Amino acid sequence: MEKYIHPFIEVCENVFRDFIGAELTAERPYFIDKKDAHEWDISAVIGLTGEARGAVVISMKKALALKITDQLTETVHDDVDDEVLDAIGEIINIIAGNAKRGLEEMFRLVISLPTVVRGANHSISWPNDQTRIICIPFKIYNEETFSLLLAIEASH
Amino acid sequence: MKNVLIVDDSRIMRNIVKNTFSSLHIPCEFIEAANGNEALLRLSENEIALVLLDWNMPQLSGIDFLKKIRAMPQYADLPVIMVTSEAARYNVIEALKSGATDYIIKPVSEKSFKEKISKIEF
Repeated sequence: MEKYIHPFIEVCENVFRDFIGAELTAERPYFIDKKDAHEWDISAVIGLTGEARGAVVISMKKALALKITDQLTETVHDDVDDEVLDAIGEIINIIAGNAKRGLEEMFRLVISLPTVVRGANHSISWPNDQTRIICIPFKIYNEETFSLLLAIEASH
Repeated sequence: MKNVLIVDDSRIMRNIVKNTFSSLHIPCEFIEAANGNEALLRLSENEIALVLLDWNMPQLSGIDFLKKIRAMPQYADLPVIMVTSEAARYNVIEALKSGATDYIIKPVSEKSFKEKISKIEF
C-alpha cells in the first residue's frame, strides 16, 4: 500500500502548484478506518478499477473549497454551489489522472467520473471493505489543511 | 473567424481552456459542449476548425466521440487535441491510435497550447 503513496503526493503537489498556484506541504500519512469520524465538509471521490481496485478522495473544509474555487474562477463564492462542486471534482480528476502515470508500471487503471459529497460527517462508500485506507494530510495556505485518502489494491 | 469546439463536462475547465487558448491571440470563436453527444450536435451545426476534447465525460466519453467522428469521412482530418487528466502512456497511445491529432495533459498551460497548435494547420 505504501508504494502507491508517493505518486499521489508528488502529483498533488504539482497539481496544486500548477493549477491553483498554491504550495503544499505533505504531512505524515497514516491509516484510517472508514468508520472514523472526520472534520471535513466536502469530499470528491474517484473510483479506481482495472488491474487494481479502490478509490481516491480529496476532503476539505468548506472554507478551503470556497477559497480554491475563488482562485480557479477569479470570482468570489459565499457558499457551496455548482461551481464549487465542479472545482473540487475537477481537482480530484486531475490528481487521479496524473497519478496513473506514476502507477502505470504496476497496473493499468480506469478512473471513474468524480462524485462530490458534502455536509458535516458525510460518509464515503469505499469499494472494498478489506482494503486499508491511507490518509495523506496536506498543509496549504500556511495554516489550512485537507486530506487525500487512498484505498487501492491489485485486482485478483 | 475559425470555430474552436471545447468539449469538457466541467464548466470551470471549459473556461480555463478558453482563457488559456485566448492567450495565444489566435482569432477564433469558441463553441462549447459538456459531453460527447453535445459535441456531435455542435459539430453538425457549425463549421468547426479545431476540437479541444476531454476524455472522461458522462453520456459519451471523449475517446468514444473521437472514434465516432473519425469513422465519418467529413471529419477524418479535423484537428482534435485531447485535453485530459489521463496521463498514463497507455492512454496517450490509445488516443493517438483512435485518431487524436495531439494530446495535452491537464492542468493546461499557455506553453502546452502554443507548442501543440504550432504543429497543426489552424
